[in-house]
Amino acid sequence: MTVNHRMKPAAVNPIKTGPSLGAVLALQGCYRAMPIIHGSKGCSAFSKALLTRHFREPIAVQTSALQEMDVIFDANRNLEEALDLVLSKHRPDIIGIIGTELTDVAGVDYRAMLKTYKRERNVRGSLAFSVTLPDFRGSLESGFSSAVEAMIDEMIQMAGHKGARHVNNRQITLLPASFLTPGDVMELKEIIASFGFEVIAVPDISTSLSGHLLTGFSPLTRGGVRLDSMLQSLQSGLTIAVGGSMERPARRLHNALGTPYKVFQGAMGLKAADELLHFLHQISGEPVPLRYCWQRENLLDCMLDAHFQFAGMSAIAALEPDHLFSVSGWLEELGVEQQALVTSCETPVVAGMEQEVWVGDLDDAEYFGKGADLWISSSHGITAARRIQAAFLPAGFPVWNELGAHMAASVGYRGAMEWTNKAGNLLMRREAERRESSVRNR
Amino acid sequence: MEPIRKDELDAHACGSLSPKTKPCPRPKPGEAAGGCSFDGAQITLLPIMDAAHLVHGPIACAGNSWESRGTLSSGPSLSQYGFTTDLNDTGIIFGGEKKLKESIDYIAGRFAPPAIFVYSTCVTALIGEDMDAVCKEAAGRLGLPVIPVNSPGFVGSKNLGNRLAGEALLQYVIGTGEPESGIPLGVNLLGEYNIAGELWDIEKLMNSAGITLMSRITGDARYKEITWAHRAKVNMVVCSRALLGLAKEMESRYGIPYFEGSFYGAKETTYSLRQMAFLLNDREMERCVDRLTEREESRLLQELRPYRKLLKGKKAVLYTGGVKSWSVISALKELGVQVVGVGTNKSTEDDVRRIAGRVGDDTEYIPDGGASRIIKTVRDRKADLMIAGGRNMYVAMKEQIPFVDINQERHRAYAGYEGLLRLAKELTYALANPIWKLAASPPPWDQEVPHDR
Repeated sequence: MTVNHRMKPAAVNPIKTGPSLGAVLALQGCYRAMPIIHGSKGCSAFSKALLTRHFREPIAVQTSALQEMDVIFDANRNLEEALDLVLSKHRPDIIGIIGTELTDVAGVDYRAMLKTYKRERNVRGSLAFSVTLPDFRGSLESGFSSAVEAMIDEMIQMAGHKGARHVNNRQITLLPASFLTPGDVMELKEIIASFGFEVIAVPDISTSLSGHLLTGFSPLTRGGVRLDSMLQSLQSGLTIAVGGSMERPARRLHNALGTPYKVFQGAMGLKAADELLHFLHQISGEPVPLRYCWQRENLLDCMLDAHFQFAGMSAIAALEPDHLFSVSGWLEELGVEQQALVTSCETPVVAGMEQEVWVGDLDDAEYFGKGADLWISSSHGITAARRIQAAFLPAGFPVWNELGAHMAASVGYRGAMEWTNKAGNLLMRREAERRESSVRNR
Repeated sequence: MEPIRKDELDAHACGSLSPKTKPCPRPKPGEAAGGCSFDGAQITLLPIMDAAHLVHGPIACAGNSWESRGTLSSGPSLSQYGFTTDLNDTGIIFGGEKKLKESIDYIAGRFAPPAIFVYSTCVTALIGEDMDAVCKEAAGRLGLPVIPVNSPGFVGSKNLGNRLAGEALLQYVIGTGEPESGIPLGVNLLGEYNIAGELWDIEKLMNSAGITLMSRITGDARYKEITWAHRAKVNMVVCSRALLGLAKEMESRYGIPYFEGSFYGAKETTYSLRQMAFLLNDREMERCVDRLTEREESRLLQELRPYRKLLKGKKAVLYTGGVKSWSVISALKELGVQVVGVGTNKSTEDDVRRIAGRVGDDTEYIPDGGASRIIKTVRDRKADLMIAGGRNMYVAMKEQIPFVDINQERHRAYAGYEGLLRLAKELTYALANPIWKLAASPPPWDQEVPHDR
């Protein structure tokens, strides 16, 4: 409906994280990959530390370690050094050069440099691409989708030389948005596969950041979609994008290869799951597997059990645009009043929402959220939620105050059920605590 | 701990205020680890808990870093707010000075902090924002200290950022206030950031010895107490050499003697407390310290006994990112843990000398090369556990190596006598957990068991 901004010169307790962090996250979903942030050492160190803290996994990322003089004289010399070292030492299959505000403002042309480098050094067999993500534009979500888009471009280029396409209509490319957890991606893959399709997720964090001990430590990513699978995904008969931000990469595949695509903006709640399963049922001609029919029953029953708990409750959600859309749809189904919705950036998805959305920070959420019962945001919101005495439900990025948050699923019937129970439990506990304290203070 | 000669200090580059005789080594692109100078400056200044800390730049510098440190507060929490000018395209093209000015006004008006620290970042430094002038104007107009911290990420390492933050304190804060009359003059702690509440343990010890803690620079600090740091009688530089320059400069400006010490391990703790009393030149206090340390040490000896038995002969690889390496070695030695490998990637020559004085000849130095190099040392030396910072925690987990976190994100305090006991417990818990055996055995269907059929 409307997207508003509260007039305020400074951001106070930002929701936003850097878009370059989103690109690093995207590359974690590709096997044997190495993102190189073309910027100061801190740009990669902060991203690495924050992603590590959220996922409780080692994160592969390197830096061109620019210093003042490098920026003034020749920043690309650093990048070349970094490429030399990373290629000779680790032999990655995929390299993503992530340009930052530093290279953008200094006007460094690393795109051309990478082109020359690839030609001269004969970097064949591995996928190397660059993406420009200055931190003064966009957020984690846009950085993630831009990186996927750049990666797809490079995939198309790389495969282009190999001749004709053999479209495989039983194969689907899944483009999951940044807010989906490894648990979500796993669930989506399972749902699609259960209709008889082969699924290739690009990127696939469900096999890298979900946590496993199949290999020891590696400086490169320890899991994710392999390069040959990525190239094979170009033969898919259909692209399914989950999250509005992934429409651009899906459209890219469509424009270049003619692959039709379907975008699911929401991924959470009964209606969203219905829509996805109905679609899969229609295109496959297969019946909806029994376990999902059961899960649907379970979800409905769970919502009935929980609806007493949600009656008269209000919530405030402060999340990235796509995530906000999903969560808002779920809250709607629970009958919870959405007191305010706050997001990091304006995107077509939030602009198209029925509710009023504020582009702002956690401080705005605190301002609008006074009196709300449930607070949904990243762990940065804990103290603000406490100040307005709302129950705190961690979601989005980063979450550090809860084990297993990165594996919790929100998609499908099962995901909606998990969230409904979790939120209901939080509200129940809060009510019990309030009752106790009112009895004590009588 | 051995005293350090003056000329050694002057030759030391990255941690002093004096002009560099040798530049800090350039980080290696493609293999660089660790934070930038902006990070370093925040590590030093964010523990001033009641001040507002405003980051002037695009989102990532503040957005990716706020609330990421384990430094605790006993009261005000304004420093835990993430303030940033969050510059966008237009801010970069037309300059962000106006936005900065408005942000300072906004924060001053809404939160009424005792001071505002304003941090420059790579981009604002590159486009030539005159932050100093904006801060000066705002300070005059608002009647409030507004302190520019010029430590953008690309000027160098985290250590350099610590040092630049120290310079900002010296230039704008220290010497601008006076302690309330009647307070006995005492000791400043430099470079102790109250990770997991360590400073509180140290303060308790100092109180029992009758030593007044004047200014905490900067763990759990209030802005006001730093303004009168120049009235202290002694400066103690805790572990990190990054604030050594500050101590040196305070010595030459205000005649405050300083010493370097640590609170990791009973011996170091005792030494530090003794040194304080000695430099305060108070016989009665010295006797008091002797009584306290004797009592604490013998109590600790009793309590440590069961853990020592379990830890004796265990081999550890220590990778702390430099500053804490030598002090933690002492603590581990007291527990009977043998350090078979130690990271020296960020250590200065002087740190290395101190490490050498504390470990055996066959200890391996790990100069650089990241996580793979640490793991190689653990394997080569058959180490039982790894002690490192949070960034390497999951590296150890993937290799199934018992791990204890020693850096700034941790949740356990290891300083002082109590801290050593806590460290001993933590080490035994890490080693004894059943997970190591469980993870090492394959699932039953993968175990080759001959079965008759």
